[in-house]
Amino acid sequence: MRPKVVTLDVNRKRHHVVLAPNVTLLQALRELGCTDVKSGCEKGDCGACAVLLDGKAVNSCLVLAWQADGSEIITNAGLGTVDDPHPLQEAFADSGAVQCGYCTPGMIIAAKTLLDRNPHPTEEEIREAISGNLCRCTGYGQIVQAVQIAAERMAAAGPVTVTGQGG
Amino acid sequence: MKYQAKPLPPIDLPELRQVGKPLRRVDALSKAVGATVYAGDFLLPNMLHAKVFRSSEPSARIKRLDVSKAKGLPGVVCVLTAEDLPNAKLTTDIPGQTGQKQRAGSDAPVLAIDVVRFVGEPIALVAAETLDLAERALELIEIEYELSPGVFDPKGAMQPDAPVVHEPDNIVARWKIRKGDLAAGMAAADLIVDNTFRMPFVEHAYLEPEAGVAWVDEQGVINIRVCTQVVEHFRSVARAVGVPHNKIRVRGTMVGGGFGGKEDITVEIFLALLAKHTRRPVRLAYTREESFIAQSKRHPFIITHRTGVKKNGRITAAEIKMIADSGAYPYLSPYVLLYATIMAPGPYRVDNLHVDSVAVATNQSFTSAFRGFGGPQACIAYEQQMDEIAKALNIDPLEARRINYLKTGDCNATGQVIESATWLEETASRALEALGEKTLDSGPVKVGWGLASYFQSYGRITWLHDTSRAWVGIELDGTVVVRCGAPDLGAGQVNSLCQIVTEILGVPLKDVTIYSADSAATPLAGTSTATRQLYMSGNAVLQAANAVREVLLERAQKHFEEGMDHLDIADGKVFVKRNPEEALPLSQLAAMCAAEGLSLSNLGLFKAPFTEGIDPKTGQGRVFPDFTFGAQAVEVAVDTETGEVAVLKSVACHDVGRAINPAAVEGQIAGGSSQGLGYAIMEEFALKEGRILMPSLSEYLVPTSVDFPPTQVIILESGSGVGPFGAKGIGEPALTPAPAAAANAVADAIGVRVRDLPLTPERVLAALDRAQLAAEACV
Amino acid sequence: MLPDFDLLTPQTLPQALDMLATGSPDVIPLAGGTNLIVDMRDGRHRPKAVMDLRRLDELRSIHMDDGHIVVGGGMTIAELMTDPLIAEHGAPLGEAAAVMANPLVRNRATVAGNLVDASPAADMAPPLLVLNAEVELVSQEGMRRVRLEDFLVGVNDTLLQPQELLAAVRWPVPSPHSVGAFYKLGLRRAVACSVVNAATMVMCDMDGRCQQARIALGAVAPTPIRAHAAEGALRGQLLTEEVIAKAARVSAKATCPIDDIRGTADYRQRMVEVLVRRLLVKSAVGVRQ
Repeated sequence: MRPKVVTLDVNRKRHHVVLAPNVTLLQALRELGCTDVKSGCEKGDCGACAVLLDGKAVNSCLVLAWQADGSEIITNAGLGTVDDPHPLQEAFADSGAVQCGYCTPGMIIAAKTLLDRNPHPTEEEIREAISGNLCRCTGYGQIVQAVQIAAERMAAAGPVTVTGQGG
Repeated sequence: MKYQAKPLPPIDLPELRQVGKPLRRVDALSKAVGATVYAGDFLLPNMLHAKVFRSSEPSARIKRLDVSKAKGLPGVVCVLTAEDLPNAKLTTDIPGQTGQKQRAGSDAPVLAIDVVRFVGEPIALVAAETLDLAERALELIEIEYELSPGVFDPKGAMQPDAPVVHEPDNIVARWKIRKGDLAAGMAAADLIVDNTFRMPFVEHAYLEPEAGVAWVDEQGVINIRVCTQVVEHFRSVARAVGVPHNKIRVRGTMVGGGFGGKEDITVEIFLALLAKHTRRPVRLAYTREESFIAQSKRHPFIITHRTGVKKNGRITAAEIKMIADSGAYPYLSPYVLLYATIMAPGPYRVDNLHVDSVAVATNQSFTSAFRGFGGPQACIAYEQQMDEIAKALNIDPLEARRINYLKTGDCNATGQVIESATWLEETASRALEALGEKTLDSGPVKVGWGLASYFQSYGRITWLHDTSRAWVGIELDGTVVVRCGAPDLGAGQVNSLCQIVTEILGVPLKDVTIYSADSAATPLAGTSTATRQLYMSGNAVLQAANAVREVLLERAQKHFEEGMDHLDIADGKVFVKRNPEEALPLSQLAAMCAAEGLSLSNLGLFKAPFTEGIDPKTGQGRVFPDFTFGAQAVEVAVDTETGEVAVLKSVACHDVGRAINPAAVEGQIAGGSSQGLGYAIMEEFALKEGRILMPSLSEYLVPTSVDFPPTQVIILESGSGVGPFGAKGIGEPALTPAPAAAANAVADAIGVRVRDLPLTPERVLAALDRAQLAAEACV
Repeated sequence: MLPDFDLLTPQTLPQALDMLATGSPDVIPLAGGTNLIVDMRDGRHRPKAVMDLRRLDELRSIHMDDGHIVVGGGMTIAELMTDPLIAEHGAPLGEAAAVMANPLVRNRATVAGNLVDASPAADMAPPLLVLNAEVELVSQEGMRRVRLEDFLVGVNDTLLQPQELLAAVRWPVPSPHSVGAFYKLGLRRAVACSVVNAATMVMCDMDGRCQQARIALGAVAPTPIRAHAAEGALRGQLLTEEVIAKAARVSAKATCPIDDIRGTADYRQRMVEVLVRRLLVKSAVGVRQ
């Protein structure tokens, strides 16, 4: 089937890309330069490729790019930058929750979607929310702490303006 | 029984400003915002995509290999087989080592020559314009195998009529220890306890599959960007590719998890060959399935303990036999076996000791380095044996250990004197105390406690002439640059070096830039393996930083007209200790030094102590620079109707000497504990006739966030390590005691021991059934 | 890389049915993709065309209709977890949803997808079986209802015809005196394929006598099954320990599990007995409350 022009709204920036139907959103995002979206298994087993698709955390390896045509896609890099990190990113960096960092982008996406709907999660709720994101380095303890710290900081600070890099 | 922590001796550790603080790591924020670039993230102009064609048979001769159709596919630029390679052997002996002693027959071919010995063995390389074309090219490669009988278990492989994986026989390595008088020791025993324990293959399962990109630069140097634990592989790559050593540059990236799986060469040679042949950049990234099939695993072991003990638990003699499965190629098997052999009796005084170990080849995934390097396997056996001894003698498990624990000044199994603090009882009692009150049984759910004490070496084998170099320099504006070849695997190797430098040069962490893991541009610092980086590169960087500090203070001495002892550096300023107002910004001091031609940089070289090899007949001699001691205690609940094992509590207590960054140390211990618990409870690596049954993360189960409670981490600091500031190593030790503690806890819960890991519900239930039958038989 | 295929994106259900009718049998519906995309990647499926169902609003609702709960086939597993109608009138389904896969997969995976994939271990099936669910299959010819028990025919095999879509699954609102429960035995607490899963639904009268019992088992036969013999053994009985134990044993006998990498047949059969007993005890306690 002929490739067609697909509009991918990634981190608040629109990209018009010509893609064949069999390209996954993971592949399309990485081809656009979103190297923060990681490939860990390409089967939905590890969560390293997680992105927000219309506000829901999903494995981008299980979404066809065509299916995301016109949808709002947010990746971890879209949440904050080194100069202006999102409270979650900052809390992860502060809490020892980042070791090799490969699971981190997907993990933060899962945590973000939790905090979006539940600003004061319990430890159990945090663990449940990230149960689709494998981490082989940390044992999850400091990751859970980071989410708790981020939740506290976000509650104290009020609404956050997300200023992450586009594309 | 409630345990109480043994009081610690008074330790006077010097007050430090930056070291010892849980500072935000230098790499953390970039990783958190997704800005860090990993080996698979590089895209170069005109880049080709590579794939590897691999064996689908575990044991066969290649009757016919035809790559012509693959070559003929438009868009395929290069197809290579063993015929195209100048030097087709991959030296798999100790990585990164100069002046190595090569074991005959230890080399794996880069690409299979005539014969394949395991499923996944690489046979051909393809480079094409797109990944899709490369994949299609693989499908066009024609191969005919002439199957030959394979051997799939080490015991079978030792039989005289077994199929031979490598001539002349399947014995890859042997080690032995002979110490004291075994017969006399056994004769003096009140009881002899015999047990055999088995451990499976384990998969590293790092989140980042192997990947890299290579290109030839304007000097004709083949550059390889790759996630690796060893940049010194450039020498082996050069040899395999047929170019001089100075024509390969390995540029290591931030590694997305190593654990020993990226210690051997992975994609480097393939990339270098394709880049050399095509003269274009080439990218190769393994799929997850490929990572399962292609790369090394942890050695399965069968370990038999025969221990003579007195009624009070004191060990009089121990006879230990170990059989390790080396898989299809030796790689680091001889050394893994050596570590296991040395650790075989555990952290106990055993004056009469025989250990016999053998590593055997089979037609299965090759086994090599994995966090602990034989130490966890040894611990799984010696700590379960210890509990069995305690049970047989009706003594408390901690008591049985206490009477045998090594003390400073004692000798280990190879006769090496332990020089550092041996906080075995201190760590074990603390871990047990932290378990608190035992959770009550409830219906069919039985609760058990398990303890494991351990000791694990850090720093490499001392006859390997290990060295590390690091360069530290201060810029004219007072900021600092560090250059050190150490790869960072995520454990914070690079950050520790920076934090040490900030302590010595008195600058904030944000003022340090570090260049690392480049075999051409950074001083070689050796492998990120064997828990050696903090010890080796930490000492090298300490040395270099101190040298720069001395130059600065000597000049400052003139400026302040004060002795060097009266000066200090902190917060970017040199100041007089008794009057800190008298200060000079480091940038000014640096400028003064530069104007006078004083050197503002230093290349530090740290050499590990050198010893001769051990006596091959007795296994006696000094082997390691030092050891880390610690313990793990675990509470489990076993559902005796389903066999399910739930971890209720987990506590790990380790003496790390000195924690350079406590948050990083905690992370290592918590992560190692999680890997260890996974190893014991859920990680089942299933092979049938040499085929991995399900090479996927949905079937090979590593712990998720909801599987285990967080491990409570208790860090002790004796200051007695040989690393910087008295630090020891913790990377591998963090994992070592966890599986044994879990196994002991399950045995305590159900009153019967499961001797085969992992402790799946079926195995637990089977053990319960056996115990039930045995009980009924007695009635 | 995924194999080449045509991707069709109908905007309405009639459009979709038309595409199916014209293109069948070469058009495979794509719902959440959590099975199909993995199958395509691993080479188990090489469809000529794939039809994306995500835009079909007609498949996305949960509502009550004529004493039945109707769940559109396009509803995701995550949506089941939070829907009040499910919580009140389909508790075992909500329980199963909460332990299926992981949160990321649940945001895409659909009820219809789980049922049409028809894995013997499908987590959605046992709860729906004890709810006496039916599936609504639509095509250009119209709509037909099939009992779920009949719909699941074999391993990855159903009565779904190539030109049909599973538009909805429905079940009668359970009596207020009934209690349902679900349990999944896996080798890990999340993201694990079931070794055995089971659901029960029990309704008792004022004296505690069982008026109706339904037991469904997964991963122990080519399809998820109802243990009818065991159900019969419970009818009219007081739910004592002994009665429950017997029903559990009878349930286990009704299964024909296989050995696979997750477990042996023996273990599975044994676990059926344990799980059913525990679920019935739980239901009995729930009924008394």
